[in-house]
Parts: sequence; C-alpha cells; structure tokens
Amino acid sequence: MIIKTFVTTYLKKTCNERFISKIKRNVTFYQYSTHLYKSNKWETIIGLEVHAQLNSKTKLFSSSSTSFNEPVNTNVSVIDAAFPGTLPQLNTKCVELAVAASLALSGNVQLVSSFDRKQYFYPDLPPGYQITQHYAPISLGGKIFLNQLDGLEYDTMVRIKQIQLEQDTGKSIHDIVPGMTLIDLNRAGTGLIEIVTEPDMRTSKEAGLTVKKLQSILRTIGSSDGNMEEGSLRCDVNVSVHEHETPYGTRCEIKNLNSIKFLMAAIDVEIERQIKELENGNKIVQETRGFDVLKNKTFRLRTKETATDYRYMPEPDLSPLILNKDYITRISNNLPELPDDLKTRIMKQYGIPLHDVIVLMNETGGVKYFEEAVKNRNPQHVSNWITHELFGLLHARNIKFSQNPVSALQLGSVIDCVDNGDITGKVGKKIIEKMISGDSRLASIIIQDEGLRQLSDINELEKICKNVILQNPEQVIHYFCFDIYFLNLLKTLFCYCS
Amino acid sequence: MISSANMYSAFGPAYNPHTIISDQKEPIDQELRVAGGSSGGSAAAVASGMCFASLGSDTGGSIRLPASYCGVIGFKPSYGQCSRWGLVAYASSLDTVGIITRNVHDAQLIYDIISKYDEKDPSSLPPKLRSINSSLASFDKTNSNFTDLSKLRVGIPQEYYVSELSDPIKSLWKRGISLLRSYGATIVSVSCPSTRYALPAYYILAPAEASSNLARYDGVRYGHRSDMDSKQDEKLLYTHTRSEGFGEEVKRRILLGTYTLTAGSYNNYFIYAQRIRKMVQSDFDYVFRRPNPLHLVKNESSFCNCNNDEIFEISNKLRKESHGVDVIITPVAISTSPKVKDSLSSSFLSNSDNTKSLDDSFVNAYVNDVFTIPANLAGIPAISVPFGISPIDGFPIGLQLMTQYGDEHTLFYISKVLENNK
Repeated sequence: MIIKTFVTTYLKKTCNERFISKIKRNVTFYQYSTHLYKSNKWETIIGLEVHAQLNSKTKLFSSSSTSFNEPVNTNVSVIDAAFPGTLPQLNTKCVELAVAASLALSGNVQLVSSFDRKQYFYPDLPPGYQITQHYAPISLGGKIFLNQLDGLEYDTMVRIKQIQLEQDTGKSIHDIVPGMTLIDLNRAGTGLIEIVTEPDMRTSKEAGLTVKKLQSILRTIGSSDGNMEEGSLRCDVNVSVHEHETPYGTRCEIKNLNSIKFLMAAIDVEIERQIKELENGNKIVQETRGFDVLKNKTFRLRTKETATDYRYMPEPDLSPLILNKDYITRISNNLPELPDDLKTRIMKQYGIPLHDVIVLMNETGGVKYFEEAVKNRNPQHVSNWITHELFGLLHARNIKFSQNPVSALQLGSVIDCVDNGDITGKVGKKIIEKMISGDSRLASIIIQDEGLRQLSDINELEKICKNVILQNPEQVIHYFCFDIYFLNLLKTLFCYCS
Repeated sequence: MISSANMYSAFGPAYNPHTIISDQKEPIDQELRVAGGSSGGSAAAVASGMCFASLGSDTGGSIRLPASYCGVIGFKPSYGQCSRWGLVAYASSLDTVGIITRNVHDAQLIYDIISKYDEKDPSSLPPKLRSINSSLASFDKTNSNFTDLSKLRVGIPQEYYVSELSDPIKSLWKRGISLLRSYGATIVSVSCPSTRYALPAYYILAPAEASSNLARYDGVRYGHRSDMDSKQDEKLLYTHTRSEGFGEEVKRRILLGTYTLTAGSYNNYFIYAQRIRKMVQSDFDYVFRRPNPLHLVKNESSFCNCNNDEIFEISNKLRKESHGVDVIITPVAISTSPKVKDSLSSSFLSNSDNTKSLDDSFVNAYVNDVFTIPANLAGIPAISVPFGISPIDGFPIGLQLMTQYGDEHTLFYISKVLENNK
C-alpha cells in the first residue's frame, strides 16, 4: 500500500516535471504555467483584487487612531465623520508603507500620483465619496513568484497591475437591531492599499498561495498585518473560463471572502458553475457574486446593469503626490529581508525544516524572536519551543504575538534549563505560562525560588520512593491489581513529597 | 466676532432676496432691493454699520457682487492665502475666504491677520512659497507716492465690454480709467481671449464639485433628518432628508453637477471645462508682468534654492522685459442691485406665466457673474471698490481690480487710490 502511493506520487511528480520542462523548452520563463483544469478542455483565468489595511498608527487623512477592537465610534474625528468645513490631511507614514509594499513586490513607484473621489451614497461612507487613486495610482507593475518554497509543485509568476492608496469605509451592522442598520465609524478613513493583479492565476490553489504570499510579504515589511479573519486583508476574486485557443470568457467577481480556504472553495464552485452553464449552451452574465459557505455555492449580488456609476472626479483638496528618487532609495535600503530570501537563509543557516520557518514567518516578529533566542542554542529545540509551545499558549489566551510578554532571553533560559535536565518539558511549559501571566524573572530564578528543580540524584530518589511506598501500603497493593491508575497516583504523591 | 449673517439657502443664486426670518433690505434705500449673493448678509451688515468687518466666501463672485450692490469693499485674496478649514465647502478648488469692510485699510488690516499658513488645510499656500512670493518684484515695491502712478501699467480687457452692460456702469468704468490716467498711469488695452468661455466652464466645474461636497449632508450624523418613514428602503432616508433640506437652486446645481460627472459626460463636459480653466489661467499669466510664483516654481525648480535678493532680481528682470500690466480694472456687475420682484421670478417654481421673461431672468442670474468668475478660475486676487452711485436709481456701483497671483499689496495700493477719489 505504501509502496503503491510512493510510486504514484513519484510518477505524478516526474510527469509534471517532464511536462513543465517541455513547456519551458519552448516558452520563456516569464509566461505563466498552463496548469490545466480537470478535463483538460477548459482553462480558468483568475485575477485578484486585494485590500490590505496599512499598519499606521493613525488614519490616512486624519489623526484618529487605527487601534483595533475599540468601543464603537470612539476612533472618529470630525474629518472621519465628514463634518462641514473639514479637509483631509495626508498621513505620510501611509505613503511610506505603500512605497515599501510596491518595492517589495518589484513594482514601479510612480514619482507623481494623484487622488480621486469615488462617489456613492451609503451610511458607512460619511462624506459620500471615498478618496482613492483611480487615474494615477502610486505604483504600477510588479510580480509575485510562487515555487516549492511556497508549497507549489511547479514555478509560476503572477503579475501585478497596480497598487493604490485609498480610504476604508466604516462598518454597517445589519443584524443586531431588527429593522435598523447600525453604523460604526471606527474604521472609516483607515488607510488601505489595493493591490490588483493581472489575470495570471489558473487554479484556486495558485490563487490561495498568491494571497498567502502577499500576506507574508506585507507582514515581513510591516506594511500590513494581512489578517483576513480580522479584516485587515480583504480579497475579491475575478473568475472566468474558456476553452483553449478561444478568447477569454466573461468574468464574474466574487466578493466578501473571509479566509483563504473559502476563497479557494468559492473559486472551485464558481468554475464548476461556469463550465456547467457553458456546456448547457448558456452565456455567462458579467455580475458580482457572493459565496454561501453553508451551501458551498456562489450567488448573485448584482449585475453589470445595476452596477453603480462612481462618477470619479479628481480630489480638489489634495495636490498631486510627488516623490523623489532619494525618498524611494531610502525606503528601499531600509526594507527587511523578503520572504523568499528569508526562507532560504533560515533553512540554510539553522537547518530547520521549511514548515517551521513558515510558522515562524506567519507571526510578525516571529523570525526575529527566533534568531535572538537561538544564539548558542540548538535551533531545532528553539524552533519547537516557539512554534509548538509559546505560540499555542499565547493563542489559547487570545494574546497576539506582537503583545508577547515573554522575552527571548526568558524563553532561552527555559530552554537551557530543560536541555540541562534541571526541569522537565512539562515544568518548562508551566514556567512559560507564568511568564505569560506577567512573571518577568528568568527560568533559573523561578526554579530556585519555587524549588522546581528536577531531582536527578539516584540515592535521593530511592529514599523518597521508599518513603512513599511505606506511607501508602494500600495503594501499593492496589497497584499490583490495577496498574496504571495507581502508578499515576503514586507519581502525583511523589511530586508533592519531593 | 459678533454674529453670523443669513445667506440664501447656502450657495444660492446671485440675488439673495429672502431669508427665513425676513426680507433683507438694501441698507441705503427703503425701496426693496436685494443685497446680492451669496454673502449678502455679510455685506448688508457692514454697509449698515452693524459691524466693523465681515467674513464671507467667494467662489464665483459671492463677496464682490454684494459688496458692489451695497457700496462696500469686497476683497477676495489669492486662492490658498487664507485657510479654508472650517469653511463649509462648496467648490473646493474655487472657494476663497474673503473680507467685507467699509474701507481698504480695514480690509488690509484683517487680511494681514488671517492670511497665514494652516497645516489643517492642504490647499493652504506653504511657507516656502509665501516667502518666495513676498520676495518677487511688484508695483507696490517700486512706488510710495499715491499720486504718482507713472510706473503703473493698467490693463483694460476688451472681452469685458459686453452688450449687457448698463450705461451707468460703463460711464463709471470710464471715469475710473480716467482717474488712473490722470495720475500718470499707462492705460493698455489687453485681451483675455478665454473670457467668454469662463462662465460656462465655471458653471460646469463649480456645480460638479458642489455635488460632491454636498453629498455629506444626509442627516445621518448631523443636521436636518427627515421624519418621514423610510423603513422599507434605506435610500428613502437620504431622499427625504436631502429633498427637504436643500433649497431649489441648490438642488438644481447638484443635479447639474452630478450629470456632468457621470461616466458618459465626464470627458465631454468636465474635462473640457478644466482645459478652459487652464486657458483662463494662462491668459492672466500673459497679461500680467509680475510672474506667477506658482508657475515660476513649477517651471524652474532652481528657484526654490535662491535667496530673497536673487528672487527679486530675477523677477524684476522678467517684469521689466514683459509688456504686461500690473493691474486690470473692470466692472463688478452688469447692473446695480436688482429689485426683489425681478430676482424672485428667476426661480423655476415661480408662478409667472411670462415664460420668455422667466428664461431671460434665469440666465441673467448667471450672467451677473461674468466679470467676477475669471478671477476665481485663475485663483488671482480681486477687489470690489465702491466708486459711485448710479444716476438712474441712486444705487452703488463698484469697480473691480485684479492683480497677479500673490500680488495683494499692489491691489490694496490701487484700491486706495480709487477709494480716495470716488
């Protein structure tokens, strides 16, 4: 059975490789792979529009805070609420983060870009328009590479069309009070970058991995937390199908996808739907659809006819944004190591597997923390303690890694004590829990103060064991009858005694 | 500040006939005449002696026109000199905070206080540009004697001599020109060829920007909110609130502005109007001999690194070589203050059966802005100085002076000459 799976996987891999290398021979590297879908008859064309919230302390055009999870309508200034007489003031930090994102994605930062108003009426859009960059965005072009390091069996590239700065809207909450919509303006005016890709993806897996890669890049450079569950990253996806050698088909947009898993599921069901329609002889209508998770189906939100005319108008309050080359060079020089380079280096330098590196990279500051803690220690142990224990304990208590109270020094001390045999792994975990609760002492001090030191002297241990057995004769008899339960009981008693 | 004055339905037409409380009466005469719009309340308050000075906003002549009707000084600075933070926005790229006073000295006094850089206003002229601007050579730096204007070149734009001009205004204009000539000024006929397109361009750009800036008045966060039932459709809340809250003329302009921004119309109207606006600006740059600091800095970035003396030298040289003028003198309005009954009939909802006069008076309402609009499109400073009384109806007439962007000092200088001799 095992041999059979091994052989089939091996064959699949080599066949793919042969197939890909055949194409590579005839085609230059920069053409996207033609990974064929299902029946080999249809090709899927997928494009993404990603909105990532910028990691600035204040909003894009006002000085209100962007802090998360505040009480409703507290992070709102008169500018955000569009009171009469208010004017936007550009937050230069947001520009920096957008330029950094562009550089990290190999885009061309435009020296001159401008702002426009996208106009429509909705209660969560106080001014009745969103300030965006429709005509002249801050960055054009760029690319994302996917390969084995990202979990894809072959290499491919997704081109980026543009990156633009824009404002986020407030939140409309429909289901708390029946018959009313509640508006929370905390999010209104927060800076976003919208990253639009070319329709270069061919499978839902490629799309999912592209989003993951984007998240990773944005987190690494610190431009965004890129968290879909929290809403700091939102994706809309455009899907169309067509038969080979025919022009591209009509595309449908799918909105309101809350996770990469749902994104991939939505793409797959939409592909099926479109193929079915076309095979039945129907035409695909260009429309915007949502994804129903429970039914695992997409459904229509609106058609092209009912699509809003946004009446784009240049923003008259803001002059064009003019950047100079020195500014861009300075940001470029300050960029941290990008994910691909980082992965290769960490794997090579510390010998830990790709999976561990990915988990570390998933938390902002995770790799930095690891590299601090790993000095003069066994890298695999350090990685395990961070990824298996620390992350898990923080997550259980709903603490973000950015708020992690355990310093690298503290964690290192725990690892040292365990490796030296002073304490067991279990005790080490308990000590970390103490540290998370606010204990700022090093492990060695905690062990000393609370006498947690593991006994390793054989004679002492023998003495204590004999003591326990002598003091608890009933349990000893029961042990010979019922084994494990009483062994554990004895062990517990032993711990209390020592 | 003592109070705020009433104005016709926010951004109303040029007439200002009604307030919610009572009819506004033109301060000098008992016969009912309108104070002008839209800062009519401010002008009336100053003219009647209620206050020392009044602030207003001038988007297409809203300060200069009522100042001319009421016989007071109406001053519009260059765009960006005075902060717009706190000013209810109508057309962001045209709105300018201005001052109404009884004499030029008071206007200059207040202007010196309020023309400061404000970081809360992104369109506020930055300190560096203000410093460059004050170093540029201009007429007021070459002269200190109010009676000797031999170094002054005054321009009369041909295109402002329109057929609708009433005779009292024409003769007053001529009298103003003669006065300056008598002090030694050189009078030059100049041409601003884009002037006839300025009015329609303005009436595309201003309503378009206004439709955008007025979108925030939906009753959700502040202001009037309709009591009418809107449970079945949330759009109805907006519809009822805005229909009830906005006056007729405002609604008219919002609809017009929304139309010109729709996908099919944008390129045909809005973009064209912006191009015309650029042409109007270049007309003035060609006509004036003092360089425009904004375009100077844009075209020669090395200018930013020069010190004040170098800037003066370069601009003085440019100024001497130019055949341009220092100041332009034109009328402010095509007539004296209209009667209330004439201005009311311009409303679409009037019950008048005489449709021909309806159309005429409706268009006339907009034509009143023809002299004042170019200064807004170009962002240059302009002032309305009361210069006389109409021999027909005894109502005040003002003359308008305009100078290059940032040249407010020359403007005040020449205004004082006119003021001393009315």
